[in-house]
Amino acid sequence: MRDKLINLKINGKKYQITVKSNTLLLNLLRELGYTDPKYGCGIGECGACSVLLDGQLTLSCLTLAISCDNKEVITAAGLSEKDQLHPLAQSLIEHAAIQCGFCTPGMIIAGKSLLDKNPNPTEEDVRQYLRGNLCRCTGYAPIVEAVLDQARKSKS
Amino acid sequence: MATYSDCLKGEGTFMFNVVSKKTPRLDAEAKVKGLEKFASDIALPGMLYAVVLRSPYPHAEILRIDTSEAEAMGAVCLTPDDVPDVLYNERGVSIPAKTYRDRRVLPRKARHYGEAIAAVAAESEELAWKALKALKVEYKVLPPVLDPIKAIEPESAQLYERVFFGEEEIAIKNNIACEREITVGDADKAIASSDFVVEEEYELPRVYHFQLETKSAVCNPEPDGSLTIWCTTQSIHNVRILIGSIFGIPLSKVNVKKIPVGGSFGSSIQMNSIIPICAALALKAHRPVKLVSSREEDMYDHCKYPSRIRLRVGVNKDMSIQGVEAEVLVDIGAHQIQAYPLLGSMAGWLVSLYKWKNIKYRSRAIYTNKVPACAMQGYGNPQMNFAVESHVDLICEKCGFDPIEFRLKNHVGIGDEFWGQGPTVRSIIKSCGLEESLKTGSELINWKERGHPINKTGRYRRGIGLARGFHTSSAGAPGPAEVIDYSGATVKVNEDGSVDVLTAVMDLGGGTWDAIAKIVAEVLGLPLEKVSLSPVDTRTTVYDVCTHASRGVFAGGGAAYKAAQEVKRKILEVSSVFLQEHPENLELVFDPKRNDAVIRPKGVPFKSMTLGEVARNAMVTGLGSIAATVSFRQKTCPPSFVTNFVEVEVDTFTGIVKLLRAVCIADCGTPINPDGVKGQLIGSLARYGGYALCEETEYSEQGRLKCEGFITDNKIFTTEEMPFLNNIVVHFTNTYEPTGPLGAKGIGEAAGNSVASAIANAVYNAIGIRFTRLPITPEKVLEALRGKEA
Repeated sequence: MRDKLINLKINGKKYQITVKSNTLLLNLLRELGYTDPKYGCGIGECGACSVLLDGQLTLSCLTLAISCDNKEVITAAGLSEKDQLHPLAQSLIEHAAIQCGFCTPGMIIAGKSLLDKNPNPTEEDVRQYLRGNLCRCTGYAPIVEAVLDQARKSKS
Repeated sequence: MATYSDCLKGEGTFMFNVVSKKTPRLDAEAKVKGLEKFASDIALPGMLYAVVLRSPYPHAEILRIDTSEAEAMGAVCLTPDDVPDVLYNERGVSIPAKTYRDRRVLPRKARHYGEAIAAVAAESEELAWKALKALKVEYKVLPPVLDPIKAIEPESAQLYERVFFGEEEIAIKNNIACEREITVGDADKAIASSDFVVEEEYELPRVYHFQLETKSAVCNPEPDGSLTIWCTTQSIHNVRILIGSIFGIPLSKVNVKKIPVGGSFGSSIQMNSIIPICAALALKAHRPVKLVSSREEDMYDHCKYPSRIRLRVGVNKDMSIQGVEAEVLVDIGAHQIQAYPLLGSMAGWLVSLYKWKNIKYRSRAIYTNKVPACAMQGYGNPQMNFAVESHVDLICEKCGFDPIEFRLKNHVGIGDEFWGQGPTVRSIIKSCGLEESLKTGSELINWKERGHPINKTGRYRRGIGLARGFHTSSAGAPGPAEVIDYSGATVKVNEDGSVDVLTAVMDLGGGTWDAIAKIVAEVLGLPLEKVSLSPVDTRTTVYDVCTHASRGVFAGGGAAYKAAQEVKRKILEVSSVFLQEHPENLELVFDPKRNDAVIRPKGVPFKSMTLGEVARNAMVTGLGSIAATVSFRQKTCPPSFVTNFVEVEVDTFTGIVKLLRAVCIADCGTPINPDGVKGQLIGSLARYGGYALCEETEYSEQGRLKCEGFITDNKIFTTEEMPFLNNIVVHFTNTYEPTGPLGAKGIGEAAGNSVASAIANAVYNAIGIRFTRLPITPEKVLEALRGKEA
């Protein structure tokens, strides 16, 4: 088990940090205080730990930190500025798409990833893209609606 | 068809300023930014990480645990010898005399696979796991009892010899945990003399809550001898009282913090099993300790009550019910969390659905070596509702009755008695939107066009079904009952006219905290942004029993309403000094122009002061703070009525049942948070869609969960199983509950109780097959279709 020094950018902040070869990205982020990616299952089934790794939707619970050398991580907290919410986050609030909020950070990351790839998704596209992000509270409908509404708004 | 987004009939029809208006959640910004701190997000300097050793056998005596190697690694170890020899019940809702106690912080005998039997804490999670692997346990493996029917046979192994019921030690025979019988009139005679007798048995599965947040705790021993706890719970005061009594700590020295909960659905009504383990480790180590359950561990911690329900109902040709005989068997698993009140509550859900006239109810809870079952959104109501609402359709089919007419004729409604939490919690129904629901819902779904299964052919067959249900709001009752139910709140006015509310009531995600803030704002004539809920703990709040029984808004909000009324009285009293008017001549109203609360002589709008001016003057003149604390018990338990109409499509080639359309109609009195009510109804479609069609935690013969901790093998609804947005309709009936805060009733559990029943009834309408056992999986559909053809 060798330690390795990696360079990592998290939500715009640069880190040079020594990690163990078995450290998971999720655990590293949470130890550094980025607690918005959540542990929901640890085996890639629920999506609560979703982050963007160099812009790609990534399950941080299945990603080793050493594989992130010279990469950039963005979490839900990194999407919203101090006084300016990310438009998708704002849309989730408007559509009452948040209840307990435990899935919310992962859901926002997945929703943003979808809109980055496909700015004009159909309802079926949204359902398919978000099916890996589990939510037990909302029944998903307001989340799907919030993503679709955001796509519509950014078009106009 | 109305669409998902334009369905809030109730909105705007009430004369409220804040209540019943759509408002963004108070915690929304923190939640979208990911800044909300759940128990697992708490980190303290010098904290140890704890992990739990869980039994690899469903039934085994723990003979010896050798901790020497783990301790040599620097770990703090906890074995059954290290915990107080106290038997407790983890749920503090029933009165002590009606509470069964069979649980120890760490048991000397494991009674289910995955039960916690030891724990270690170490400087890092990795070291903790290594130390855990170094524990050496000697077991005496016992034969497991997995089938509740076989469990009562005399040759079966016994989970318990003795447990406590109240202060009395009682013997457990044949694994029967408890029994309840309730008789009204003479059901046998009434059924025997009925025109029709319809009998059927129904079976409901063992499902897992799957709240997104796994159970977590952080415990910190403080320098003054007290213990601070951050944990996943639906009741901070229950955790305080239990930790204090188990470990012999004065209750003033246990402080449980009110923090957000990442979903719950009933799984944290009781103090979760890991909390006292974490507390014991912290007390032993004299260090803060953090314990976060893995998903697999969480699956081995709690589940819904699986039930078998046999119904025999006598009905006359004029559609009048003559009597019901119900037999209920509940497989509660390894511990009694709340089986005894459950059996009473299931009787209550039965008797409150229809006017049976004569009732014979017999129920039994059986111990087995499986995960202990507990409440899960509905507390026996979805189980009883599935049996009764399936049975009502069966009766109508057999006797040629119209299912809507039959329900309208026989339902329990205004002026009738409702059992909100078993036989000792009863009150008279004063508001009921059921009739309106059935009428409106049948129009919205095109009920009359549903057709008959005989005429449906082809690969894909559609069916429409209905079921109606309800749930209590709180366990309030006119007098003392078997169930504790009261809440409390402090409301105080700050020197700028803003208001702080201190309440111990937990918000499980449904928006209870928003509702409480809105109720206080409404009473005090304030805009919502001037009311804040303080971050509090058990030290700074008066007792609230628990956010369960759909009581957050009704009872918790009810207490806040009382406190706000008291504060309003004091505001008028203080204002009378400055306005030179008798308090009775003054009014406190919302002034839209100033967007503030103003106090003025009635009918004299120009002579007014804002609440901020009054509070500042009170400070300057030494009249003091305007504040009130109340402890308040609701005297009623009004039901919210919910009706579900659904359309399904059955693929007769694959057996897959799709939920295509859903109409959810809610009578919750005043919807304090319309979005919140809608959220409960649509969320319940997903949870109870899963209950109907896919969820079940099956066990291997070795007593292990077949899914082994994988969610995929215990599938819940994802985005793809839900109906499309345009096919979900939510409608509120026009009701006002006179005993609720500003007319409100609780919606949380009512939202789900009849969903699975409606889906099963729709499947019958599609393919003419009545499924009496959930979930209706593709395998079961194909098998039934083959059986029908043969």
